[in-house]
Amino acid sequence: MSVTRPATRSLLSGRLAVVVPIPPAPTCHRSFHSSAPLAVRSRPRFRNILAKDMGLDTPKKVESFAQKKFPKYSPAELAQLRTLYSPEQIAALQAGEAAIDPKDLTIQGRLRVDPYVLPYIDDFSDIQPIIDKRPRKNAPPDPNARFMNLDEFTLDLIQWADSDAARKGDVTGQLKKLTDFVADEYKNVAEGKWPGKVRDQAREAFMAYLQAQSGKPEKLGDGASVGGPTDADILEYILERSSMTDNGLKSNSSMAPALPNKVPGVAGLYKNAIDPEDEGLDDSGIYRELKKSTGMTVKQILGLTVKVLHVRSVVNQTRLGKIRSASVQVIAGNKDGWLGLGQSKAIELPIARQKATMMAIRNMKPIPRYEKRTVFGNLEAKVGGTIVRLNARPPGFGLRVSHRIFEMCRAAGIHDLSATMPRSRNPMNSIKATYEALLNQPNPDEIARGRGKKLVDVRKVYYGGATE
Amino acid sequence: MGINSIVNACSHLQNSSRAKLGLTSLPNNKYNLLLALAMHRAGFISGVTRGGPNPPLPEQVISEEAPDPNKFEPVTSANVATRRLWLGLKYWDGKPVMRNVVPVSRPSRLVMAQLPQLNRIARGFEGGQIKGLNLGECLFLSTDRGILEIREALEKKVGGLVLCRVS
Repeated sequence: MSVTRPATRSLLSGRLAVVVPIPPAPTCHRSFHSSAPLAVRSRPRFRNILAKDMGLDTPKKVESFAQKKFPKYSPAELAQLRTLYSPEQIAALQAGEAAIDPKDLTIQGRLRVDPYVLPYIDDFSDIQPIIDKRPRKNAPPDPNARFMNLDEFTLDLIQWADSDAARKGDVTGQLKKLTDFVADEYKNVAEGKWPGKVRDQAREAFMAYLQAQSGKPEKLGDGASVGGPTDADILEYILERSSMTDNGLKSNSSMAPALPNKVPGVAGLYKNAIDPEDEGLDDSGIYRELKKSTGMTVKQILGLTVKVLHVRSVVNQTRLGKIRSASVQVIAGNKDGWLGLGQSKAIELPIARQKATMMAIRNMKPIPRYEKRTVFGNLEAKVGGTIVRLNARPPGFGLRVSHRIFEMCRAAGIHDLSATMPRSRNPMNSIKATYEALLNQPNPDEIARGRGKKLVDVRKVYYGGATE
Repeated sequence: MGINSIVNACSHLQNSSRAKLGLTSLPNNKYNLLLALAMHRAGFISGVTRGGPNPPLPEQVISEEAPDPNKFEPVTSANVATRRLWLGLKYWDGKPVMRNVVPVSRPSRLVMAQLPQLNRIARGFEGGQIKGLNLGECLFLSTDRGILEIREALEKKVGGLVLCRVS
């Protein structure tokens, strides 16, 4: 207030007061944080040491450094290079070497000395797909090319049919011909002018030869059916032959290079979808991870008791709207002392159910049972506002519990139990609290050992032991 | 002093046991001593020894042999107020053996239990105002045969003042 008051006063009594020019607002430099500005922070603690001060920029020093770091090829090295490169390449190499002054490299070049330095200065002989662009082996496309008209296309097709490309897969190119089976005097004579006997013999020999070559009898005299372009050749013609007036100029492919057959590092990690051990029960591979983590077979997994105990809809409120998901609680048990609880959320209910089932099976833990039928003593567990009290009961009592606890007991193989929930009966928390209570049961043997007592179960003494 | 020293002892033992202390002390009086000995019989504490304000050596607390009387400072009328009972607490499997110590009788409300009632309580049923015992629970009673655990009292067929339940 005391700061603003003089200004206010001068404005109110403005008639007599001299108009004070308002200073222009500072252009920038409002401090948005308490740390020092960059200019202050980046100042080094020591003065820079210049090469000039160390006497490193004298011509003599520069020359000695250049000779040491960038020596010229010795005759022995040149001889070795000649074994690797053609004379043209050697000439190009030498021209390149001569174009660069070692002195420039010394003064301007940056030679790295850090531990991550590459093992070469610059080596363009290898193409590294990650850092290098793909080489363009073919010439750039002809800008004046246009699509062929019908005549040009027909001519091109005939050219292709006559060319070696069409005969690449053609057996006739490598096979003997009919003229090879006649005597030399008839070789330059047309077939029609051969004597009948010679012609028949030649044809017979040629047919036998062809059959031996292909293993298939061929029709005699039909020259077109013998050999010809293969399907691959035709496909190549359709896909790759240029349909423009550029004399079959090939273009550079824009396709990414294919992966090698076996990518190093992942060999042996490919997943097989179908495991013969599953006996066709898990063709889609849903239980593959579960099999690995639990060590059970698919048959055993499918034999478990799985029950969806609670489904609710949950909502994530974002600034774009509400995102609804389904939240599912599932229990899984083997009806013989193992019980697991899984909870999962997903947009789709079936997916949430499946995820929760997997988690329930994976979370299965042993539940201590007294005489394989009830719990040890009276248990209590609290989750949120829900308290679950479980009481051990005599044989034949049955399960007098709420329906969710009933399902859990059934999956775990508990047959005699009573339960009360004195406070909140929230479905989700009651399931969690029951699971917690069943897991954290007191162990009478451990209690006895802690107190240094001997423990005897008199039921087993008097009644000959409970049924196992 | 009466029953309130027992109530104090209960709270103190529960707190020090949950704090994982090895050794703790109670004021030296007959009531505390008898309770400590009953707890020792039930296996909740490892040893009871008389001492002064400073803790005795741990060996003295848990030794089975009778202590050498020459090593102990004699109790006189001058130092009797500073004498304390030192108890060794027990732990098993990383957990205290004595987890819950709940007083039943209070100075304002003494709870008595007769034999039929104790019979029911020991078998896990509710007896009068007292809830039945759970798995591994003990109930300590003050009877005219001293402070006894409920099973000892049933053996001796005596009832009495219910002091505390321990588990």
